[in-house]
Amino acid sequence: MPDTSTGVVVIGGGSTGAGVLRDLTLRGIDAILVEKGDLASGTTGRSHGLLHSGGRYCVNDLAAAIECVEEGRILRRIARTTVEDTGGYFVSVSEEDEAWEPRFVEGCQKAGITCERIPVEEARRREPALSTHVRTVFWVPEDGHLDPFYLVVGNVESARRRGAQIRTYTEVIGFTRNGNRISGVLTRDAVTGEETSIGCQAVINATGAWSGFVARLLDVEVKVVPVKGVMVVLSRRLAHAAINRCHKPGDGDIVVPGLSVAILGTTAVKVPHPEVLPIEWNEVQLLIDEGAKMLDGVTTARAMRAYAGVRPLYDLGAEAEGREMSRNFAVIDHEERDGIAGFTSIVGGKVTTYRLMAERVTDLVARRLGVTTACTTAEVPLNDRDDEMDQLRHRPAQLGMPKPHGEELALQPLLCECELVRPQDVETWMKDPAVRTLEDIRRRTRSGMGPCQAAICSYRLAGRMVTDRGVDGRTATRAMADFLETRWRGVRHVFWGSQLRQAQVTAALHLELFNVDRQLQEYFPPPLGEGQGGGVPAEAVEAVGQP
Amino acid sequence: MITEDRETFSDTVEEEHSVEACTKCTACNTVCPVARSTEIFRGPKSLGPESERYRDPHEATVTAGLDLCSGCKLCEVTCPSQVSIQEYIRRAQNKGAREKGRTLRDWLLGHTRLLSRFGSLTAPLANFGNRNPLFRLLMERVVGIHRKRPLPKYQWLTFESWFKRHARPSVSPPPLGEGRVGAARRTVAYFYGCWVDFNERRLGQQVVAVLERNGIEVIVPRQQCCGIPAVVNSNTYLARKYGVENVRRLSALPTGVDIIASSTSCGLMLKHDYAHLLEIPGAEQVGSRVYDICEYLWMLHEAGELDVDFQPVDTRVLYHAPCHLKSHGIGYPAMRLLRLIPGVRVEEVDEGCCGISGTYGVKVEKYDLSMKIGSRLFEAVKAAGSDSVLADCETCRMQVEHGAGSRSAHPIDILARAYGYR
Repeated sequence: MPDTSTGVVVIGGGSTGAGVLRDLTLRGIDAILVEKGDLASGTTGRSHGLLHSGGRYCVNDLAAAIECVEEGRILRRIARTTVEDTGGYFVSVSEEDEAWEPRFVEGCQKAGITCERIPVEEARRREPALSTHVRTVFWVPEDGHLDPFYLVVGNVESARRRGAQIRTYTEVIGFTRNGNRISGVLTRDAVTGEETSIGCQAVINATGAWSGFVARLLDVEVKVVPVKGVMVVLSRRLAHAAINRCHKPGDGDIVVPGLSVAILGTTAVKVPHPEVLPIEWNEVQLLIDEGAKMLDGVTTARAMRAYAGVRPLYDLGAEAEGREMSRNFAVIDHEERDGIAGFTSIVGGKVTTYRLMAERVTDLVARRLGVTTACTTAEVPLNDRDDEMDQLRHRPAQLGMPKPHGEELALQPLLCECELVRPQDVETWMKDPAVRTLEDIRRRTRSGMGPCQAAICSYRLAGRMVTDRGVDGRTATRAMADFLETRWRGVRHVFWGSQLRQAQVTAALHLELFNVDRQLQEYFPPPLGEGQGGGVPAEAVEAVGQP
Repeated sequence: MITEDRETFSDTVEEEHSVEACTKCTACNTVCPVARSTEIFRGPKSLGPESERYRDPHEATVTAGLDLCSGCKLCEVTCPSQVSIQEYIRRAQNKGAREKGRTLRDWLLGHTRLLSRFGSLTAPLANFGNRNPLFRLLMERVVGIHRKRPLPKYQWLTFESWFKRHARPSVSPPPLGEGRVGAARRTVAYFYGCWVDFNERRLGQQVVAVLERNGIEVIVPRQQCCGIPAVVNSNTYLARKYGVENVRRLSALPTGVDIIASSTSCGLMLKHDYAHLLEIPGAEQVGSRVYDICEYLWMLHEAGELDVDFQPVDTRVLYHAPCHLKSHGIGYPAMRLLRLIPGVRVEEVDEGCCGISGTYGVKVEKYDLSMKIGSRLFEAVKAAGSDSVLADCETCRMQVEHGAGSRSAHPIDILARAYGYR
């Protein structure tokens, strides 16, 4: 007997999994989402946040471009609080770019993308930061910014209110089968190691770049090519609209202003494993150099951190590599392909088309389960209830939501001063069992995503863990140190100027003033005799004799 | 992996004094006199660099909390990253005032020169009104000026008209002797400011006397209000108008003529804010010629040109360093000068801002906060029980007199006494 039973188990807490979970619950199907880390901690949360108009794909990947056009319009309707309607520019800065223009214009026409050539002077009036290198400008009003964290959390919360469950930090370690039919999954808690079984009628594998690993548990193959992309976060938006280079998609050709930052993207390098994502200094340098060709201020702005994400490109068997591969997606019906009933994978695609991907795979699974309710995710808005998404504060003015720095907020105390996070924004999440670490709080509130990279808010959040969550001081200190550690992983790639000085202030504060490393050694002493700072190994003592 | 190749990042240069340089060290918040006195003020870090990230020139400014900043600039003095914190706050205040309009009170307080001219012309009447409880109550209700705040006493004879009739010492070059080698005759232009002109003519007379005693020719160019009352009352347009006029007149001075100010805030405007905050063309050149009176006298002393033939002055005084003096970045030259005088025992009261900040503490909604900010200083002054408190800034002197009930004077007052002037 399984510990719990449900209709469908969705594996993967990225945008696709969250979209599938919501789609299932809107059709009245009972579902549990299982994620081995936190929501949006894989590909989705490491995207650059560009809501594609399709312009980027319209020449090489027309099918993907057409999907982007449609989905972009739907998301603007249903996810108003997660989409920032910035618009975008495609700019040419060289002769090669200008040669690409006719193909770009033709592609836009074919895909149905609104695109208008505007005089450079007019563009510079609207975007004063446009570089002097810019020769031609196309205005593409349907580019935008999509907040990946709120998108996932919004979908999941919407589903949870309709009865769905989520289990974060829960890894699938096996399946139970009844003949050829899947009858449940076995999971293990990543922290406690506790194993649980969930009985179900169907499993949807929405793990993106990790799809192959999940499928292998059933001895079937799903070929996903993980392609790394590096991004650099600047501390200010620099531009109002997304800036794309008008050329064959390549490295470092987009600057996406979103919320309080601008993100320079991106590179494309095939990697052996979706979790091996080294960031090389030359990639960071390239992103800054290329970004500076389009926008002034890229070199003078403060780079806050660099991060790497992984694209889950589905190998359709073509000889293509990296960017040549399609950004299209595929639903793999393992019942038909491999004879495993009740197991379906959804692979490829991108954040912009997450809803369509969810719709396609849910259509198939619902049909198999005999549910005939049609998909309504294109109509029912994500914020279909008043109390929904109270946490979504960082709304631009045109959405009619309070601005983060609105008058009413300006006199309230803050936990994270860089990103204007108030105690009440954190409180609900502190009580949510799906939230385990301060990184999880960050993904839901943006705490620690500003210039100081959690130097200040980390200790305030640790204090909140004690008051709101009731953990002891040791656990809170550990959580604070872990949070700073994950922030550090991104900061260390941009060590120059202000961020270098910032790191020194952070180190002085936490290591010298708070003495965190010593405290942790005291709280969690490493086992003696293993040469990890926990005492002198016995053989070393023997070698030199007693003091 | 950190390699030497990272030097290629050297072309990535951030702007100086920019908001980007803030490392959130919070040093500014710890010195902010307002943040220390009220919890509803988030402090310079939040209102300066942190809010600046969110400000968009094309959108309405969020003004809540901005008006609580008193403009003392201690945050800028303290910032280890040299962020122009107060300047960001000031710009936002001004933009907000342009969008939302300003009150009659703030308009009036910005036009200090106009008010003072009127007060001076009607001196006996104005002074009577300013001390009449009924009139003050009316003033509080109608204009918003706190009834407990003592207002400056106006003088009918202005410094400007006194100086016109002032008998200059005979023009004879000082003897070239030892210690004065190469010292040509110096000429300074005195920027006296509205306070000396309409309220404390005596200070101006003392400044002129001290300078002339040292063989320095004093000229008084025509001048306008320095503009700081307009700046702090969110009227940069007016401040800039004044500034442009002053810069034009002061630029016309012959080369080699230094400019002296006896008010720290006027001096700071001329030295720094004209060029930076108000971006007045030519202000950088004018600013480089401006000295605070005590700074200038100390420089004379270091050059061996100051007449140190002082009469003993037997007094024990406290010295309060005004916040804007700290912004000059010149240390406390007044204290150094006073220590040259036999008999003078001078001690610094190191208790921070007095709280008045020009017109800030005059306003009905700020009066209590202003007194709370200054309370530490008042206590220290009362406890010390000395003859008087010296401060280079006129509004600091008003506040100390009001809050601690002590007498106050500009440091030049002691210096003039040591030279035998009364």
